[in-house]
Amino acid sequence: MKDRMIIFAIVTTIIGFMVAIQFKTTNEPVVRDTRDILQLRQDLRLEKERQQELNEEIDKQLALLNQFNQQDDLEDVMIDALNDLKERAGLTSVSGEGIILEIKPLYTDYGFVPETVPPHLLRFLINELNIYNAKEIAIGNERIISTSAIRDVNGVTHVNAKRIATFPLQIKVLANDAQKLHHEMVVSQSVEYFAIENLSLKSTPVNFITLPEYDQALRVRYLQPIKEES
Amino acid sequence: MWLPVLGLLIGLLLGLWTEFRIPDAYSSYLSIAVLAALDTLFGGVRAHLQNIFEEKVFVTGFFSNILLAASLAFLGVHLGVDLYLAAIFAFGVRLFNNIAVIRRILLSKWTANQEKEN
Repeated sequence: MKDRMIIFAIVTTIIGFMVAIQFKTTNEPVVRDTRDILQLRQDLRLEKERQQELNEEIDKQLALLNQFNQQDDLEDVMIDALNDLKERAGLTSVSGEGIILEIKPLYTDYGFVPETVPPHLLRFLINELNIYNAKEIAIGNERIISTSAIRDVNGVTHVNAKRIATFPLQIKVLANDAQKLHHEMVVSQSVEYFAIENLSLKSTPVNFITLPEYDQALRVRYLQPIKEES
Repeated sequence: MWLPVLGLLIGLLLGLWTEFRIPDAYSSYLSIAVLAALDTLFGGVRAHLQNIFEEKVFVTGFFSNILLAASLAFLGVHLGVDLYLAAIFAFGVRLFNNIAVIRRILLSKWTANQEKEN
């Protein structure tokens, strides 16, 4: 009888152990903070940057509010603000110093002669221009805005849902320092990548160019304001 | 009678105190092992009350049931069929049967005792 109880006790001990482990496993998902100092610093930096951004935004809105309060003529201030937003969205033509990139086939007498610029090259070029602090970009007559699409449609590259111009294709870029951008584009990787596709990329700095405005209706379909969590 | 309860408590405390966790992927194995163990335990209690308890049968049944259930679950995972449901079903039915039998035995003992007192 005693033996029997001991066996039962051992069995119940094992069951208890298993139940406890199961309980722990299912009830407490292990969420531990395993970030080291470096990662914590990075996160802190990110948060600080965000804070700064938000502060700047608040300052801007406060300044606008001040303007509203000070001026009797509200309409002018609102029109100013609207124009400012339009300019930032790319709905107005802009001019200033910048560079003109001319794209045309490198060799036309032999080998494969491209008829259009592949979209991935254009995307690469735009990325690189943005890396080098380009202010505004227009491909042909199409202004690049934040929702511009560069796609291949039936073998022809489309920008803003319109065919890009035939060769030579001009890309106009506004920059604060046109000479600097020009030098950077001369030695940029894009030149090599374009050369692989038998395309030449020639940059010329200009003192004054005008970029066309984005001429289509700006439709924002999938964008929603972010609800800031506290 | 108190020894198994004490064992259960010791096991629970051991499991809660030791920082021992199993990966999520294996928690289904453990749950089915727990079920198998409970089934064996109640089978043992029933056998004990019916006076047909045998230590060897109980101990071997305990471990082989757990292993069988776990391997069935393992096989199920690899075959893509939820075979552990079979184990859960079988053990669940047996668990209920055993508990029902235990309850009846205890009830009849209790009523017999009552009649004796009267």
